[in-house]
Amino acid sequence: MSFITLKINNIACRYESTEILENIEFSASGGDFVGVLGPNGSGKTTLLRSISRTLRPHMGAVLLNEKNIYALPSKEVARNLAVVPQDSPISFDFTALEIVLMGRTPHLGRFEIESAKDLTIAKRAMKLTNTWHLSERPITELSGGERQRVILARALAQEPKVLLLDEPTTHLDINHQLEILSLIKRLNKEEKTIVIAVFHDLNLAALYCDFLILLHHRKIFSLGSPEKALTAENIKKVYDAEVLVKRHPATNSIYITLLPRRNYVSPSTLFLKGVSKGRSPFVIHIICGAGSGSQLMHLLLEKGYQVTAGVLNAMDTDHETHQHLGISIVSEAPFSPISCEMHEANLGLIDQADVVVLTNVPFGYGNLKNLEAAEFALENKPVLLIEEAPIEQRDFTQGEAKKIYTRLKSNGAIVLHSPEEVLPIIEKMARRV
Amino acid sequence: MSKSYLEKVLQWRLIVACLVAILGLTIVLATTLGPAQISSLVVLKILVSRLPLVNGLVTPSWSIAEDTIVFQIRLPRVLLGILVGASLSVAGATMQGLFKNPMADPYIIGISSGAALGATLAMVGLAHMSMYTIPLMAFIFAVGAIFLVYNIANVGGKLPVGTLLLAGIAVSLFLSAITSFMMYISGERLHGIVFWLMGGLWASSWDHVWMVLPWICVGTSVIYIFARDLNVMLLGEEPAQHLGIEVETLKKVMMVSASLITAAAVAVSGIIGFVGLIIPHIVRILVGPDHRILLPGSALVGGIFLVWADTLARTIIAPTEIPVGIITALFGAPFFIYLLRSRKRSMF
Repeated sequence: MSFITLKINNIACRYESTEILENIEFSASGGDFVGVLGPNGSGKTTLLRSISRTLRPHMGAVLLNEKNIYALPSKEVARNLAVVPQDSPISFDFTALEIVLMGRTPHLGRFEIESAKDLTIAKRAMKLTNTWHLSERPITELSGGERQRVILARALAQEPKVLLLDEPTTHLDINHQLEILSLIKRLNKEEKTIVIAVFHDLNLAALYCDFLILLHHRKIFSLGSPEKALTAENIKKVYDAEVLVKRHPATNSIYITLLPRRNYVSPSTLFLKGVSKGRSPFVIHIICGAGSGSQLMHLLLEKGYQVTAGVLNAMDTDHETHQHLGISIVSEAPFSPISCEMHEANLGLIDQADVVVLTNVPFGYGNLKNLEAAEFALENKPVLLIEEAPIEQRDFTQGEAKKIYTRLKSNGAIVLHSPEEVLPIIEKMARRV
Repeated sequence: MSKSYLEKVLQWRLIVACLVAILGLTIVLATTLGPAQISSLVVLKILVSRLPLVNGLVTPSWSIAEDTIVFQIRLPRVLLGILVGASLSVAGATMQGLFKNPMADPYIIGISSGAALGATLAMVGLAHMSMYTIPLMAFIFAVGAIFLVYNIANVGGKLPVGTLLLAGIAVSLFLSAITSFMMYISGERLHGIVFWLMGGLWASSWDHVWMVLPWICVGTSVIYIFARDLNVMLLGEEPAQHLGIEVETLKKVMMVSASLITAAAVAVSGIIGFVGLIIPHIVRILVGPDHRILLPGSALVGGIFLVWADTLARTIIAPTEIPVGIITALFGAPFFIYLLRSRKRSMF
């Protein structure tokens, strides 16, 4: 079985004399799901238009099965390639079924009338997109989402080997977004079609695409797997937005969270400020885990303190926050107990800190060493305990953690009940230094 | 439900068959009506006797005068009415589909003003006119106007619809200004010009029929061949192209065909308004937007409508004839408004 191939050979496109795309080069073959991303005006739609034989590139070529699509008859291209546009304003009374049957146009001879076979194909396409119940309704009476699904059915009725989608789910409800994208993904894998889709939503793109093309200023900025293309660094450069890129545990695909610009203060600028004032920064070491330390971390950094943390497991929520904020941490492999080595490194950081904070973290045998580290800290510096829940509820070591925790309390650790309470105390301590 | 779509083709054939039957009846009745009293039966016999194959079925029992009135005077007029009504309606439906605009009519890109100028020039400027001078001049100027508009709007092999419409309006206004000037200096010929501009089928003979028949047959056939493509064009130019339509070629072929049949119709009948705009809408309400039924439906309904309007125009205050354009608007518009109001769905 030979799969279809699509090659974009170093194309450049322009409208009038304005360059829209330059040096675009990539290829895809049957079964590939390609996402096209980029900010407004980066040329995403233009790229689709040049692949769909609508806007002829003034340089380079688009090759479908090694043949230049601009040299092929329109009809032959349409038998292989279907397009779902962003928006389909239709203002006349064709029924949904009639619209879908129009998808058969490239397969019909000039005088041929749609046969029972064409009807079967249209019906199947409509059942797949969950629009068959709308078949006799005029297209003008359908909602935006319903209409978009009918248009997708029309594209599927073309039986395309290449499917081009321009932000196909923009008008859809979230359930239909996933339904439609999952359907497209299924066709993509089962029938080995090439899918090239422009996305607005980076997370949807990361979830469904095999590889992504990130456009920036008319050119391909990055091309590769979602992990490779969608790094926080790339997104910062292309979209000028601060984001957090994580791997989502439920989907195992990368997940991007937008960080609000207003509240965000880059840690590096804060450090520079501290240094210029000519005083060594006040260092706070945080023993945390499972997300219990993130909030505190932000609070302290915003105030200009230097923060260290440990021992954390890689992929722990707190670990990622630390990493993102660029602070020193001691980390352990994911889901592994703390090793002696890492424990010692942690003690090293504690040694350099002015104060140690133990957050409301649950304890198991794996991170019991962190409690011991707190006990070590208490020997020569203040230790703050954030106790949002009593230790009994957080103790999964049959009392061992509780024993050490109680000891910490009786040896003079300061007990607080929320991360917000930490700040005034630390400020008081810092002034004394 | 799936069955219903295939039944649709059958339904289309039924609609066409019904309309053809009504058209046949119209021919007989319209040929019967007139100042000389001739019964429908005699008319039918005369008509049958002129048809090939079946002419042996009737034995001549009518006078030569009756034969002349029916066959030489009334029948060509009825047939010309059918041809003109059909071509204006088909051209109107085509323009509306092509421009995706319900306001489009056959005259939208300047054909009428070109024809008007040609006819006016013929009437004012040429001393020796044969009966063919006016149609010929009207046709030449109509085609000239289309050619002009087409070339103004043609940018790098593409025909942007917006530019086409605006170029049509500009050329129309320009040509109308010349026509107005010609009328102003035309003296006693003004009445004739005004009468021509209002449109009518008074000058009809078999020669006129044969003159326009080839244009109209070829033009409507070409348009009908592209009926399905016109449906797809209603999705928009880019989607149509994605479905394998050579959009620019289609636009040009449709434009030229619709313009030629309109020019042919205008040349023999003057500027009959309303038919080309409203008949496609009426038919669309009755049979839906699919051009494969809309086009033949419009042709038949347009033909029937114009024959009846013309019959009314020549009999209502006989022996004086009213320009048929007045009748088409006077009776067509209220009927159209009635259809518009009685239907909830959108028009186009």
